[in-house]
Amino acid sequence: MNMNLLAVAPEVIVVVAVVALLMIDVQWRPGPVWWAIAAAMGIAGATAAVALQWVDYRGADAASFFSDMIAIDGFGAFAGMVIFPLAGLGLMAAWPLIRSQGGRGAEFVVLVLIAATGAHLMAAAANLIMLFVGLEVFSISLYVLAGFTRERVDADEAALKYFLLGAVASAIFLYGIALVYASTGTTSIGGIATYLRSTILLRPGVLMAGMAMLLVGLAFKVSAAPFHMWAPDVYQGAPGGVTGFLAAGAKVAGFAAMARVLAVALGGRIDDWAPAVAVLAAVSIVLGTLLALVQSDLKRMLAYSSVAHAGFILTALVAGANGIPDMWFYVATYAVQVLAAFTVASVVSGATQGRAPLSDYTGLASRSPWLAGMLGLLMLAMAGIPLTAGFVGKAAVFRSAIDADYLWLVIVGVVSAVAGLFFYLRVIVLMYMQAADEESGHIPVPGGARVVLVAVGVLTVLIGVVPWPLLTWLRDALPL
Amino acid sequence: MVELTLFVIFGLAAVFGAVSMVWARNPVYSALGLMLTMLSIAVFYVSNGGYFVAVVQVIIYAGAVMTLFLFVIMLIGVDKSEERTERLPVQRPLALGLLALFAAGVLWAGRLVWVTGAPAGVVPVDGSIEAIGTELFRKWVLPFEVTALLLIIAAAGAVALALFREDGGDE
Repeated sequence: MNMNLLAVAPEVIVVVAVVALLMIDVQWRPGPVWWAIAAAMGIAGATAAVALQWVDYRGADAASFFSDMIAIDGFGAFAGMVIFPLAGLGLMAAWPLIRSQGGRGAEFVVLVLIAATGAHLMAAAANLIMLFVGLEVFSISLYVLAGFTRERVDADEAALKYFLLGAVASAIFLYGIALVYASTGTTSIGGIATYLRSTILLRPGVLMAGMAMLLVGLAFKVSAAPFHMWAPDVYQGAPGGVTGFLAAGAKVAGFAAMARVLAVALGGRIDDWAPAVAVLAAVSIVLGTLLALVQSDLKRMLAYSSVAHAGFILTALVAGANGIPDMWFYVATYAVQVLAAFTVASVVSGATQGRAPLSDYTGLASRSPWLAGMLGLLMLAMAGIPLTAGFVGKAAVFRSAIDADYLWLVIVGVVSAVAGLFFYLRVIVLMYMQAADEESGHIPVPGGARVVLVAVGVLTVLIGVVPWPLLTWLRDALPL
Repeated sequence: MVELTLFVIFGLAAVFGAVSMVWARNPVYSALGLMLTMLSIAVFYVSNGGYFVAVVQVIIYAGAVMTLFLFVIMLIGVDKSEERTERLPVQRPLALGLLALFAAGVLWAGRLVWVTGAPAGVVPVDGSIEAIGTELFRKWVLPFEVTALLLIIAAAGAVALALFREDGGDE
């Protein structure tokens, strides 16, 4: 067994931070400041470890370790460089929520850290069993986080719905692994790829069923239509402070796993799965856009828009491994945007609250010009207006789809992106062109949320204006 | 021949148990249906030479997990049968239709022949505890260790979800 501790260093560092946090909390009850210190050290250490992986192992130097269970490659390292900072931003945005929960706040921090670990394991897994264990670690943490404010009945409902549907999706995914194992004789991702490239399957029925089930399981996790039903209820019911991390983390981890399973393991059968992915993408884009148009709650609207964005990201995957850099560009920029958008929702509508009715945002510009400006920028970025990262992302995924001869999908995407402008601009109109209620006053912005919003705002504009460095780096973010 | 007979009998029993688990209105019947499925699957393990897995299946699932389920059912109250009001009356036929469509798609893709030409592969374990232990702590040690994280989540999640206050205020 070839052990390389760098391969598991991010996980080990985070788990050490988690265990230290739990033990210190049990022994001394030191309060939120020490949770923040433990979490910051864990996240900083893990980010440093994945950065080291990126420096040493990207491109041709990629290798897999622990009996081919985990890979160190540009793909997994880049995923880590997105996921761990995302968890840090998520914790900062959620800090008012954590403080309001008393002693339970420590468990909240622990669950976010473990979720990030699971997400990175999903991205770095070189074996389907490893991927599944990472998926479960990630998903189960999110189920608990979604229901953290159980005193609200809609949070309870959100957690239960997420748990039950998520468990079914995990079961389908696991069955898919079993069928792929039955038809290829291995669960190693590289092994499946080698087998499928070197063998002509005349009767691939079992493999087809397995591929379909893997696709369904992962499409659920990234909330692609028609497996998106849970997303609006969960995002609306979950406490405001954590919704951003739920949405952003699920997209990053889900698409990392999807790219590895489809483009690498099943890369030899791209002609079989690419049409299915294209249909999923088109349905997600159209359904997400249409349903977002009619929402009267900001969090529900963002949930449906995240379904549409899942469709746009899937558009890059129809190109197989060639689409992976474009997929990463979109996933990384969208993840920080959606995190920040839900952060604004948690500041305006309440960090422990579920609902965020759009009426809360009428005249926001006069109550807090700063928040309104940030939300406006994020809406423009999600709509894909030029000079924001959202525009470059959409251009990149459409280019991938055109290269793969999916022109119809690009047309559907462009038309829907234009239609989507309507609901993003509606929020801006509400904030800037309508008067606020008499009684609503100025909104204080907590420090953590301020940091998150500034960081994301700067990134969104900077990457939108000069996207080339990131696009160049991403050429190395390829899987083993 | 013996294996085929066993498979047919216990396969039907497993499906019957699974269906009755979902169908039964009384939760105790559901639990018993699940137990029938678990035991039938244990028989499959035996007929495939996985004796250790079969024993573990009986002890853990049919034993410990089922006992836990029955405790929960007894605590909640046996007499509470489920209220079934479905707001989407078409969903049952629709689900059956989609299932038939999926099955037809799989059968069409496989043209009724289920041989894929895959290698038989190394039979992962010969059923002995040593073989399982060796595999588990050599090849599969990383996934095995990561499942420890699931236990931390279970502990932290249980604490977090059980210790909430109705007013949601500070301690």
